[in-house]
Amino acid sequence: MSRKKPGQIGRYKILEELGRGAMGIVYRAKDPALDRIVALKTIVLADDADGRKDYQKRLALEARAAGRLTHPNIVTTFDFGEEGELAYIAMELLEGVELRERLKQGPLPAAEAVDIAVQVADGLGFAHERGIVHRDIKPGNIMLLERGDVKIMDFGIARMRSEDFKTSTGMVLGTPRFMSPEQIAGMPVDHRSDIFSLGVVLYEMLTGSMLFAGEDTPQIAHNVSNVEHAPPSRHNPDATSMLDFVVARALKKDPAVRYQDAYELAADLRTCLAELRHRSAPAAEMAPDVTRTVKLEANENAPAAAVIAPETRLPLSRQFDSSAALQRVAKPGRGDRRLLGRSPRPVSLRRRLWNDAAPRLLFVTMLVAAAAGSYIAFA
Amino acid sequence: MASVVFLKVHDFARRPVSEQARLRAQLEAVVAVTTAEIDRASRIVLDATDGMAIVVLRDPQGALRLAGRALSAAVAGLPVSAGVDHGAVRVIGNGKPDAMVGDGIAVAAAVAQFAPPSELRVSHAFRDALSDAAPGAESSLVPAGTATDSGLRRHELFTRDRRAAARRRMRYSTLSVAAALALLAAGIGARVSEQGYESVMSGVAGKYRAMSAQGERRVRALAQKVKLQ
Repeated sequence: MSRKKPGQIGRYKILEELGRGAMGIVYRAKDPALDRIVALKTIVLADDADGRKDYQKRLALEARAAGRLTHPNIVTTFDFGEEGELAYIAMELLEGVELRERLKQGPLPAAEAVDIAVQVADGLGFAHERGIVHRDIKPGNIMLLERGDVKIMDFGIARMRSEDFKTSTGMVLGTPRFMSPEQIAGMPVDHRSDIFSLGVVLYEMLTGSMLFAGEDTPQIAHNVSNVEHAPPSRHNPDATSMLDFVVARALKKDPAVRYQDAYELAADLRTCLAELRHRSAPAAEMAPDVTRTVKLEANENAPAAAVIAPETRLPLSRQFDSSAALQRVAKPGRGDRRLLGRSPRPVSLRRRLWNDAAPRLLFVTMLVAAAAGSYIAFA
Repeated sequence: MASVVFLKVHDFARRPVSEQARLRAQLEAVVAVTTAEIDRASRIVLDATDGMAIVVLRDPQGALRLAGRALSAAVAGLPVSAGVDHGAVRVIGNGKPDAMVGDGIAVAAAVAQFAPPSELRVSHAFRDALSDAAPGAESSLVPAGTATDSGLRRHELFTRDRRAAARRRMRYSTLSVAAALALLAAGIGARVSEQGYESVMSGVAGKYRAMSAQGERRVRALAQKVKLQ
């Protein structure tokens, strides 16, 4: 990619560079026809003629599809065109901060995280209704605006990226850490894949920790497909049990048991949001001048080995006090050490006769009858 | 090694979240009631995505009772099934315990998956543990086929049959009577073959007559005593 800022692309006058990504460069540009400031996203086209033709065709289709999406939670696409080696998309210019940047400061308050997820789910629901799947929902594609508004970016074009994650079975589009298991496996994906990705984003917003971390792509892929998450409430005490259920359902490995509709997810998240606001409201009313100190858990960038937790890992229930038994397991007495450490042994005949009434009856009866028979025979 | 009771809510993932929350609360209430009879130092309660697991230390009978009670308590509107295994479990956590892992949990979860709603399935390992802890108690567990889990591991399943223990007692009683009769008959047979049929029968008849004469004398003496009074 050239470091030199072009003066003009298409009819757009380039004002400044906003950022660089895998696909190309994003500029602040001016549309002289409408006297409007836009974000101009450039995409470098493929070099070979056949690949380029195919790519251009797909890009045009995707850009047109994205252009039809007019929703308060989706960045509006104004225009699409090509110039030389570049294709460009003119989009609404947003003044805000990417969720990715916001997450660098740590987990979000539960209510704020859920509010963001509700808006993203609304945007996704709108797009899914029109048959468009994002395929790359991640914090980097979610923009937080002033007044709490949220917009999904890169709709439609996210799937056009050239530097996609590749598996041995073929090319897979998206960012592995936020991909659904079916996407990781290179299987056909539908709107439920976006729901899974949003579940991962919501989890990370609530906990401030990476759900599917790993040293390399295969490890992340394994974690996405196999590792079950701990409920968010274990990391963030503000998260309600209802929120745990919502996240769990969004993160189901099997798309058939996941949320089938982003609007359904949004509806459940709204219920959680109401619960969270209801919960925080009385406290705020009672102590309006008191500064609350919230202790945030350390960001758990766990080592890779710890991330691949066994699938049988079950967390201790917080509803029940198991400390006495845990203490017993941690420091077993002499009897416990012997009995908790050994496998069941086969029951010997002596133990059987001593402890089991039915065989004992048979044994005693036979003994008595044998004695009587002997007496009859030999006395 | 410990017994693990896995209580699984059927089709949990497919239900609306509001219903999931309700079922979860209901399950927690059932577990609270059923674990009350087990010593706190002998049970650890774990959360699962679609149910709850209770690890019971050194008490397979208690674990089986707990599973049975949970199922009967859950009949009213809670579609729960129970899987029980006895296997290795371990407490894990960074600094302080926060979870448990182990084959015991994995097998109990797999076994619960094969149990129809409101029913109990136990593994062969649990049956062995029950037999070790209380010989004879395992007779209430009858075979319920085999099943292969998603990890292609085969499980021999057993279910509880309350009448199985009674049937076993009856079998043993019948066998005891038959054995007693056979041994007595063998004694008589040996005597007959040694002394001949006539001699044995006349001996028996003589003993019978002597006994009846003795009995008659005693009855008369008793009647005499009654008259005198």
